[in-house]
Amino acid sequence: MTTNHHYWYQHPTAVDQLAGAYVLGTLQGRARRRFEAAMRTRPELATAVASWTQRLGPMMTTLPPVEPSAATWKSIAHRAGIAAPKAPPAKASAWWQRWLSPIPAGALAMGLVVGTVAPMLWQAQMGSGSEQETQLPASYVGVLATAQGQPGLIVSSLRQGKVVEIKQVAPVEVPAGSTLYLWRIDKAGAVSAIGPVPAGKFVRVDLAEPAEKVFFTAVELAVSVEPLGSSPVAPTQAFVYRGLCGKLWR
Amino acid sequence: MDDRDEIQTLLSRVALRDAVALESLYRKVAARLLAVASRVVQDRALAEDVLQEVFLTVWNQSAQRAPGQSLTLAWLCVVTRNRAIDMLRRKKPEQPLVWHDDNGEAQLHDIQDDTGSPLDQLLAHEDGQRLGHCLGALEQEPRQAVMMAFFEGLTHPEIAERMRRPLGTVKAWTRRSLMRLKGCLELAA
Repeated sequence: MTTNHHYWYQHPTAVDQLAGAYVLGTLQGRARRRFEAAMRTRPELATAVASWTQRLGPMMTTLPPVEPSAATWKSIAHRAGIAAPKAPPAKASAWWQRWLSPIPAGALAMGLVVGTVAPMLWQAQMGSGSEQETQLPASYVGVLATAQGQPGLIVSSLRQGKVVEIKQVAPVEVPAGSTLYLWRIDKAGAVSAIGPVPAGKFVRVDLAEPAEKVFFTAVELAVSVEPLGSSPVAPTQAFVYRGLCGKLWR
Repeated sequence: MDDRDEIQTLLSRVALRDAVALESLYRKVAARLLAVASRVVQDRALAEDVLQEVFLTVWNQSAQRAPGQSLTLAWLCVVTRNRAIDMLRRKKPEQPLVWHDDNGEAQLHDIQDDTGSPLDQLLAHEDGQRLGHCLGALEQEPRQAVMMAFFEGLTHPEIAERMRRPLGTVKAWTRRSLMRLKGCLELAA
């Protein structure tokens, strides 16, 4: 390959060839694991793989079905801990928690964004010379990154306010019949719903309760795409934005 | 709701630890995935082990769906095929010729297809005709290399050895074949 291996994913031809090899099965061992790891943080790889999967899929989906023995499901249910009639909602982390929890794009971009936005705010604050008050009123501020690691969304709310202001720095595509949906993530990693976010570059969302109540436990905020009009209890799709939620007061 | 939507919905529910959805998904796709696993590992018992691993992976989400990944039967097939290749590499030396089913009855190792080659299967299927036609348009040796990689999980060096061709030639075959297939499928679309 003519490309430097560190940057192979910046070359569409390399991405296409590797995605093809991944689906064909010739990408194996460490190379495959590296590719899979990169795929988790680079949606363009996942998209290329999805295209190849669609192209070559019929080779597998047209094979005559082979019925598994009854023991196989029993064993799966047992090993998954769902042999009992109803599975307890286990605490194990789901893929969406996994996608956001470790270091990937989000956290990196966070460093970047917090590194640029926060100092400005702090400068404003320090420049005032006041020891008592901050320049800006006490607020919650979230700076969220896109899945590609770009600055994506700024969420802010007065500490005692009942309105959230949201600015889309990098808009994401929201399919018809869907809406962006805001979530808060507490320090234990538990995700809970805040509410749908209307379309637009700069929007306001009314809160049912004061921001202090809504954001107090939030260490991070995240946004997923959900069916319009639904009230999901957990995200059904991967997050499109995610980032830290800070309390801007002394 | 068509199959594609249904599988996608079930997978989303499984991601939220919905046990009923896992069972529904199993009822819907297990036989298709077992066909893939069987084709790769050529051993029924081992193929059922692969199937278990795939479902546990999906349940525990170590499949770690990437953002942008489409959740389809074909995707599950790729996950299954990869898992089968891993299993094959771990267990290669001892492949049982006889295994016992859940009634304790001895079964003979017998999954060499009696239903024709994957290419025949493709052509016989409406969904697979276009790909079958494009595969058929490849030259014989490159096509063989593609099928060996896809269904037997063979690496480039292994294909080279089996076909008694230089490694570089085999690598070029698979790479060019993929691009030709892509071009052919786009042309047909």
